[in-house]
Amino acid sequence: MGFLNLSKKGIAIALSAQMVLATQAVTMAQAEMLGTDQAISKYTALANRNALMDEIQREDVQAEIIAMGVDPAEAEARLAALSDAEIATMLTQMENDSAGADILGTLFTVFVILLVTDLLCFTRFFNFTRCVR
Amino acid sequence: MRALAPLCTRLACLLALCWLAACAQPFEPDERLSFDAPTRAQITGVPLIQQEDFFCGPASIAMVMQWAGAEITQQDVAALAFNPGAGGTYLADMIGSSRRLGQLALQINDFDQLLAEVTAGHPVIVFQNLGLGVFPVWHYGVVTGYDLAKDEVYLNSGQLDQMVMAFAVFERTWRRGDYWGLVVLPPDQLPVSVREADVLSAAAALERVGQYQAAATLYETGAAKWPANWLWQFGLGNARYAMGDLRGARRALRRARTLDPSIPEVRANLAFVDGELAG
Repeated sequence: MGFLNLSKKGIAIALSAQMVLATQAVTMAQAEMLGTDQAISKYTALANRNALMDEIQREDVQAEIIAMGVDPAEAEARLAALSDAEIATMLTQMENDSAGADILGTLFTVFVILLVTDLLCFTRFFNFTRCVR
Repeated sequence: MRALAPLCTRLACLLALCWLAACAQPFEPDERLSFDAPTRAQITGVPLIQQEDFFCGPASIAMVMQWAGAEITQQDVAALAFNPGAGGTYLADMIGSSRRLGQLALQINDFDQLLAEVTAGHPVIVFQNLGLGVFPVWHYGVVTGYDLAKDEVYLNSGQLDQMVMAFAVFERTWRRGDYWGLVVLPPDQLPVSVREADVLSAAAALERVGQYQAAATLYETGAAKWPANWLWQFGLGNARYAMGDLRGARRALRRARTLDPSIPEVRANLAFVDGELAG
């Protein structure tokens, strides 16, 4: 009875809530322990980690990393060692630096290569990640 | 992007210092500090390590970790942090390598934090541009003390002699590094100038790189300082679980549940651990 009365808006809210909860639902199945990071992200911070990790997997980016003399696996390990908040800060800094056309921009970091070279992907991160609420 | 220290050569450092000293304005503590810092502070026991070429970043981390009692060399750190192609060490890799070595690593960004940490007895790694904006000479050094009355900042800066800088010179070189500083501590000590949420994230980062014992120690240390926050006990439970300590994990997760019975993650993990203990 209650279901029949749902408005379009109500359905939309339910669907988006379901999307937000989708990742939770998987872990709530209790195949494994729920991670501390996820809890911190959910309760105190934003997370852009997965988007960055996806970027590292791109072929052209992998080539750049190798050209820098760094093993791609090592690059992932370095990225993994950063907290979500630091990654968020890094993304913000990169946005600012690319706008300023700073001479220091010539000093590329692995992460600048990942991000500044592809600002479109940067924008896309925020569409994909659910961390923007 | 001020993320790189490609050059740490001594000659360049000296040249830059001469240049900077000529145009330095006095440093006004009252204007720059929002708390009443002690006139002077000095941390003893930070070793002076002569850096190898371009290794100012790894050498800085090695100095701080040796001060804390670890047996580690700049080469050990360099393997986890140095970027051969860039001829330097990225800021992010300074943080990441410290964590992979089981340390609590947290960034700071201003003079308040710097002096608060040094006063608390924590050496701080600072990222400086010893050159100019158009001719950057990036460098990492370790601030080990200061004296406001004498107008001096003391650094272990990759040489066998202690480096003494006037506050104004230090301010300029550090400003060009965007006031980037790094506190690296063993996980049973906490920085005094960093928000709880950032310490939590740093602890979770230790878990992520597989430093479970260090993570567990840090969660316990954090729980002692911030006993009301269930996240410390939750993280402690997860870290212990990762090490195979199921009973310890259950104790921590129960404490988390007591602190906040409404958190689904806590209840879920507790049920999971209970299930494994029963099965």
